[in-house]
Amino acid sequence: MIPQLVTVRHRRRSGRWMRLYVPVVPVALVLSPLLVVGVVAGLVACRVYRMRPMGVLRAVWQVLRALPGTRFEMEQGRTAVLVSVR
Amino acid sequence: MTSEQRRQILEMLADGKITADEAERLLVALERAQPAPVAEARPAAAGRPKYIRVVVNAEDEASGGPTRINIRVPIQLLRAGVRLASLVPPQALEKANAELDKAGVPIDLTELKPQHLEDLIEHLGDVIVDVDEPGSKVKVFCE
Repeated sequence: MIPQLVTVRHRRRSGRWMRLYVPVVPVALVLSPLLVVGVVAGLVACRVYRMRPMGVLRAVWQVLRALPGTRFEMEQGRTAVLVSVR
Repeated sequence: MTSEQRRQILEMLADGKITADEAERLLVALERAQPAPVAEARPAAAGRPKYIRVVVNAEDEASGGPTRINIRVPIQLLRAGVRLASLVPPQALEKANAELDKAGVPIDLTELKPQHLEDLIEHLGDVIVDVDEPGSKVKVFCE
Protein backbone atom coordinates (compact mmCIF):
# COMPACT_ATOMS: atom_id res chain seq x y z
CA MET A 1 0.00 0.00 0.00
CA ILE A 2 1.50 3.34 -1.01
CA PRO A 3 1.22 6.32 1.35
CA GLN A 4 -2.24 7.86 1.43
CA LEU A 5 -1.81 10.81 3.72
CA VAL A 6 1.20 12.77 4.91
CA THR A 7 0.59 14.89 7.98
CA VAL A 8 2.94 17.73 8.83
CA ARG A 9 2.47 19.60 12.12
CA HIS A 10 4.56 22.51 13.18
CA ARG A 11 4.35 24.34 16.48
CA ARG A 12 5.76 27.84 16.33
CA ARG A 13 7.48 29.68 19.13
CA SER A 14 4.22 31.46 19.78
CA GLY A 15 2.72 28.06 20.65
CA ARG A 16 0.38 28.01 17.64
CA TRP A 17 0.12 24.76 15.71
CA MET A 18 0.21 24.71 11.93
CA ARG A 19 -1.24 21.52 10.47
CA LEU A 20 -0.83 20.39 6.90
CA TYR A 21 -2.56 17.30 5.56
CA VAL A 22 -1.24 16.16 2.18
CA PRO A 23 -3.35 13.53 0.38
CA VAL A 24 -0.66 11.77 -1.63
CA VAL A 25 -2.68 10.30 -4.51
CA PRO A 26 -4.53 13.52 -5.51
CA VAL A 27 -1.33 15.56 -5.20
CA ALA A 28 0.56 12.98 -7.29
CA LEU A 29 -2.19 13.17 -9.93
CA VAL A 30 -1.96 16.96 -10.05
CA LEU A 31 1.81 16.79 -10.30
CA SER A 32 1.78 13.86 -12.75
CA PRO A 33 3.28 15.90 -15.66
CA LEU A 34 6.24 16.75 -13.44
CA LEU A 35 6.45 13.13 -12.28
CA VAL A 36 6.65 11.97 -15.90
CA VAL A 37 9.49 14.43 -16.54
CA GLY A 38 11.19 13.15 -13.36
CA VAL A 39 10.85 9.52 -14.45
CA VAL A 40 12.30 10.32 -17.89
CA ALA A 41 15.20 12.19 -16.25
CA GLY A 42 15.72 9.20 -13.96
CA LEU A 43 15.79 6.79 -16.91
CA VAL A 44 18.37 8.98 -18.67
CA ALA A 45 20.47 9.06 -15.47
CA CYS A 46 20.22 5.25 -15.25
CA ARG A 47 21.51 4.99 -18.82
CA VAL A 48 24.36 7.41 -18.12
CA TYR A 49 25.43 5.61 -14.95
CA ARG A 50 24.76 2.13 -16.35
CA MET A 51 22.13 1.16 -13.85
CA ARG A 52 19.24 -1.17 -14.55
CA PRO A 53 16.16 1.10 -14.98
CA MET A 54 13.73 -1.65 -14.03
CA GLY A 55 15.72 -2.48 -10.92
CA VAL A 56 15.75 1.17 -9.90
CA LEU A 57 12.01 1.57 -10.56
CA ARG A 58 11.28 -1.56 -8.53
CA ALA A 59 13.46 -0.36 -5.65
CA VAL A 60 11.84 3.10 -5.64
CA TRP A 61 8.41 1.45 -5.68
CA GLN A 62 9.41 -0.72 -2.70
CA VAL A 63 10.57 2.36 -0.80
CA LEU A 64 7.23 4.06 -1.54
CA ARG A 65 5.29 0.99 -0.41
CA ALA A 66 7.28 0.78 2.82
CA LEU A 67 6.78 4.43 3.77
CA PRO A 68 3.41 4.15 5.60
CA GLY A 69 3.96 3.99 9.34
CA THR A 70 6.94 6.32 9.28
CA ARG A 71 6.81 8.97 11.97
CA PHE A 72 9.20 11.75 12.86
CA GLU A 73 8.71 13.97 15.90
CA MET A 74 11.06 16.62 17.11
CA GLU A 75 10.41 19.00 19.93
CA GLN A 76 12.73 21.66 21.20
CA GLY A 77 11.51 24.10 23.75
CA ARG A 78 8.29 25.54 22.38
CA THR A 79 9.02 24.57 18.79
CA ALA A 80 7.92 21.20 17.47
CA VAL A 81 7.74 19.41 14.13
CA LEU A 82 5.84 16.22 13.47
CA VAL A 83 5.78 14.36 10.16
CA SER A 84 3.69 11.26 9.86
CA VAL A 85 3.09 9.07 6.81
CA ARG A 86 -0.02 6.93 6.72
CA MET B 1 -2.59 -34.76 16.98
CA THR B 2 -0.25 -36.56 14.63
CA SER B 3 -1.40 -39.44 12.45
CA GLU B 4 1.12 -41.62 14.33
CA GLN B 5 -0.66 -41.01 17.65
CA ARG B 6 -4.03 -41.69 16.04
CA ARG B 7 -2.71 -44.94 14.56
CA GLN B 8 -1.34 -46.06 17.96
CA ILE B 9 -4.73 -45.51 19.60
CA LEU B 10 -6.51 -47.40 16.82
CA GLU B 11 -4.03 -50.28 17.10
CA MET B 12 -4.56 -50.45 20.87
CA LEU B 13 -8.28 -50.55 20.22
CA ALA B 14 -7.88 -53.28 17.57
CA ASP B 15 -5.67 -55.33 19.92
CA GLY B 16 -8.33 -55.06 22.59
CA LYS B 17 -6.00 -53.26 24.98
CA ILE B 18 -8.50 -50.40 25.35
CA THR B 19 -12.23 -50.13 24.89
CA ALA B 20 -13.93 -47.97 22.26
CA ASP B 21 -14.93 -45.55 25.02
CA GLU B 22 -11.33 -45.20 26.21
CA ALA B 23 -10.09 -44.75 22.64
CA GLU B 24 -12.60 -41.97 22.12
CA ARG B 25 -11.50 -40.28 25.34
CA LEU B 26 -7.84 -40.53 24.30
CA LEU B 27 -8.56 -39.04 20.88
CA VAL B 28 -10.47 -36.13 22.48
CA ALA B 29 -7.66 -35.57 24.99
CA LEU B 30 -5.05 -35.49 22.23
CA GLU B 31 -7.12 -33.07 20.19
CA ARG B 32 -7.41 -30.79 23.20
CA ALA B 33 -3.69 -30.95 23.77
CA GLN B 34 -2.92 -29.96 20.20
CA PRO B 35 -3.57 -26.15 20.28
CA ALA B 36 -0.67 -25.60 22.72
CA PRO B 37 2.17 -25.65 20.13
CA VAL B 38 0.12 -23.39 17.82
CA ALA B 39 -0.34 -20.90 20.65
CA GLU B 40 3.39 -21.06 21.29
CA ALA B 41 4.20 -20.45 17.66
CA ARG B 42 1.94 -17.40 17.37
CA PRO B 43 3.88 -14.98 19.60
CA ALA B 44 7.06 -15.68 17.64
CA ALA B 45 5.32 -14.64 14.42
CA ALA B 46 3.58 -11.70 16.08
CA GLY B 47 6.77 -10.80 17.92
CA ARG B 48 8.59 -10.04 14.71
CA PRO B 49 9.41 -6.32 14.97
CA LYS B 50 7.88 -4.00 12.41
CA TYR B 51 9.47 -0.70 13.33
CA ILE B 52 12.77 0.63 14.53
CA ARG B 53 12.34 3.40 17.01
CA VAL B 54 14.80 6.12 18.04
CA VAL B 55 13.92 8.16 21.12
CA VAL B 56 16.10 10.99 22.35
CA ASN B 57 15.37 13.08 25.42
CA ALA B 58 17.84 15.81 26.29
CA GLU B 59 17.69 18.55 28.85
CA ASP B 60 19.36 21.42 27.05
CA GLU B 61 18.43 24.70 28.63
CA ALA B 62 20.78 26.66 26.33
CA SER B 63 18.53 25.99 23.33
CA GLY B 64 15.39 27.15 25.07
CA GLY B 65 14.13 23.99 26.68
CA PRO B 66 14.34 20.21 26.55
CA THR B 67 14.78 18.46 23.24
CA ARG B 68 12.69 15.44 22.43
CA ILE B 69 13.08 13.35 19.29
CA ASN B 70 10.93 10.38 18.47
CA ILE B 71 11.49 8.61 15.16
CA ARG B 72 9.70 5.49 13.99
CA VAL B 73 10.87 3.86 10.76
CA PRO B 74 9.30 0.71 9.32
CA ILE B 75 11.91 -2.05 9.04
CA GLN B 76 10.48 -2.73 5.60
CA LEU B 77 11.63 0.77 4.62
CA LEU B 78 15.18 -0.03 5.72
CA ARG B 79 15.06 -3.17 3.65
CA ALA B 80 13.80 -1.24 0.60
CA GLY B 81 16.50 1.39 1.17
CA VAL B 82 19.16 -1.30 1.24
CA ARG B 83 17.86 -2.68 -2.06
CA LEU B 84 17.97 0.83 -3.53
CA ALA B 85 21.48 1.38 -2.20
CA SER B 86 22.62 -1.89 -3.77
CA LEU B 87 21.92 -0.34 -7.17
CA VAL B 88 24.46 2.44 -6.66
CA PRO B 89 27.03 2.09 -9.48
CA PRO B 90 30.55 0.94 -8.56
CA GLN B 91 32.09 4.22 -9.79
CA ALA B 92 30.01 6.13 -7.22
CA LEU B 93 31.02 3.67 -4.49
CA GLU B 94 34.68 4.15 -5.36
CA LYS B 95 34.29 7.94 -5.11
CA ALA B 96 32.50 7.55 -1.78
CA ASN B 97 35.30 5.24 -0.58
CA ALA B 98 37.91 7.84 -1.51
CA GLU B 99 36.01 10.57 0.34
CA LEU B 100 35.54 8.35 3.40
CA ASP B 101 39.23 7.53 3.34
CA LYS B 102 40.07 11.25 3.20
CA ALA B 103 37.81 11.83 6.19
CA GLY B 104 39.66 9.14 8.13
CA VAL B 105 36.97 6.46 7.84
CA PRO B 106 38.60 3.58 5.96
CA ILE B 107 35.48 1.66 5.01
CA ASP B 108 35.26 -0.18 1.71
CA LEU B 109 31.63 0.18 0.64
CA THR B 110 32.13 -2.17 -2.31
CA GLU B 111 32.61 -4.97 0.23
CA LEU B 112 29.12 -4.39 1.62
CA LYS B 113 26.96 -6.86 -0.25
CA PRO B 114 23.14 -6.61 -0.26
CA GLN B 115 22.99 -10.07 1.35
CA HIS B 116 25.05 -8.85 4.33
CA LEU B 117 22.80 -5.84 4.79
CA GLU B 118 19.72 -8.06 4.51
CA ASP B 119 21.13 -10.27 7.27
CA LEU B 120 21.87 -7.19 9.35
CA ILE B 121 18.30 -5.97 9.05
CA GLU B 122 16.95 -9.46 9.70
CA HIS B 123 18.67 -9.48 13.10
CA LEU B 124 17.95 -5.86 13.91
CA GLY B 125 15.07 -6.98 16.11
CA ASP B 126 17.55 -8.03 18.79
CA VAL B 127 19.28 -4.66 18.89
CA ILE B 128 18.70 -2.38 21.85
CA VAL B 129 20.77 0.74 22.41
CA ASP B 130 20.16 2.46 25.71
CA VAL B 131 22.29 5.45 26.61
CA ASP B 132 21.42 7.05 29.91
CA GLU B 133 23.49 10.06 30.84
CA PRO B 134 22.66 12.83 33.25
CA GLY B 135 20.52 15.21 31.25
CA SER B 136 20.11 13.03 28.17
CA LYS B 137 18.69 9.68 27.24
CA VAL B 138 18.92 7.85 23.93
CA LYS B 139 17.06 4.67 23.13
CA VAL B 140 17.13 2.67 19.92
CA PHE B 141 14.98 -0.43 19.79
CA CYS B 142 12.63 -2.42 17.61
CA GLU B 143 8.93 -2.85 18.28
